[in-house]
Amino acid sequence: MSTTGTTFGFSTPDQALSAWQDLLRKSLALPKVVEAAQTVRVGCTPSRQVYREDKLRLLRYETDAPQRYKTPLLVIFALVNRPYILDLRPGKSVVSHFLSSGFNTYNVDWGVPEGGDRFLSLEDYVTRYIDHVVDHIREETGSEKVNILGYCMGGTLTAMYAALNPDKVNAFVALAAPFDWSKKESLLQTWTDERYFNVDRMLEVYGNAPPQWLQTSFLMLKPVQNLMEKYVGFYENMHDEKFLEDFFAMETWLNDNIPVAGETFRQFVKYCFQQNLLVQGKLHIGNRRVDLKRITCPVLNLIARSDHLVPPSQSLPLNDAVGSRDKKAIEFPAGHIGMAVGSKAHRDLWPQTCTWLGERSEKLRG
Amino acid sequence: MTTDFSQAFAGADAFGAFWGDFLKRMASGGIPAPAAPPSPDVLAQIRRAFFDSMSQHADQFMRSEPFLAAMKQAMEHSLALQQATNDMIRKGLSAAQIPSRADADHITLLVRGVEERLMDRLERLSTRLDRMESGRPARAGGADNGKPAARRAGARRKSAK
Repeated sequence: MSTTGTTFGFSTPDQALSAWQDLLRKSLALPKVVEAAQTVRVGCTPSRQVYREDKLRLLRYETDAPQRYKTPLLVIFALVNRPYILDLRPGKSVVSHFLSSGFNTYNVDWGVPEGGDRFLSLEDYVTRYIDHVVDHIREETGSEKVNILGYCMGGTLTAMYAALNPDKVNAFVALAAPFDWSKKESLLQTWTDERYFNVDRMLEVYGNAPPQWLQTSFLMLKPVQNLMEKYVGFYENMHDEKFLEDFFAMETWLNDNIPVAGETFRQFVKYCFQQNLLVQGKLHIGNRRVDLKRITCPVLNLIARSDHLVPPSQSLPLNDAVGSRDKKAIEFPAGHIGMAVGSKAHRDLWPQTCTWLGERSEKLRG
Repeated sequence: MTTDFSQAFAGADAFGAFWGDFLKRMASGGIPAPAAPPSPDVLAQIRRAFFDSMSQHADQFMRSEPFLAAMKQAMEHSLALQQATNDMIRKGLSAAQIPSRADADHITLLVRGVEERLMDRLERLSTRLDRMESGRPARAGGADNGKPAARRAGARRKSAK
């Protein structure tokens, strides 16, 4: 049947046949989609818990690769999601790059804060949890100093820690981490402006920052991408098993938001987003001033050029703010998550980062 | 009678701008109005332009004063509702003589206060002992060895692997 020279709306019968085959292929893929959704696996490298404090767990990754460096690497992730994004799947694991380069690698799992954790503050996280973890690693490895890679908010916490404990940090790698909120560039910063967002009121009601609220906020930063484009892409690739595995692993992580301890959230929003105290050297953790100039270790600042969450303008100022002489910034063409899971980042960025860190770490003798 | 539609619907301008931008992108891409259904490549190009334009305008809209004001109002209402629910639950629990979250928070705060005072005291004692052992005179009440009290307070919480 033809309508004004077309076949069911297609220019040629071949086009119609191709569309029909495509629809059939996608329909036949449905059981695979269900299976992939049910059997999704995240976190590909075996790890062992080596330290625990309250809800925090310190994981050490196990590997057959020979260790080449005495200086260990500690990975510190943000408080809003789970840390397995840096070890999501084979071929998409930042951790595996460091392991195969010969680093003894640790990762902090902050655990899930509950009602009773609402009073945990930045002081607890920076001067207690991170410090204890670093001390434990120093004791376990016999290394005086530790390399730290801080991702997103974890990078900000690491900067605070390194400024307060410069003698314990060998090198600092900041990954898509914010330090300067003076330019109101990101949508998140517009939304957290004190004229529109009363963080005190929210925490008074909820105690901790609720995960569903955080998740909705992140989702709405890119509504067209997250609510439309993503699913169009899914429909187009749903017959590809590899795509399905990656898609569901990513979705699992994206939907695995956790609450943020109330007091920490309040301080971070007020002192960082609203008052921008960190880069001005006016932030106090407990009774100690955080002066980024006290960071004198080598610093590598990895910036995501297309980051909608932490735009480059929030990350770049770190290099001017620290007191280090050995410092470098790499602007990489990726988004906030793409830095951790993007294939380009795994091909180009992470080998380069491992080399940079290796050149600044103590090698294992013998 | 005249009706000012831009007043009636604050998003009208943004909506119009989006479609204007989308059509402009189509025209600049040399994509004519289709006489026959377009090929998949052209369709993908149209879709790309549509999404890009929509993203750009969504971002602009979510930064606009009307959106921010609406977001603030929605959050206030949502918090008020949640607060009312919390109060109702607390009253119910109180009537049943069951501790509520407020009670748990109160106890948590008390314990944290006790812990901080205790650990500060222990720290001062520890510092004094260190100084006595090293033969230096102990400063009364002096507790500063350059480490924050909270750091040491946490040491007690460490647990085995």
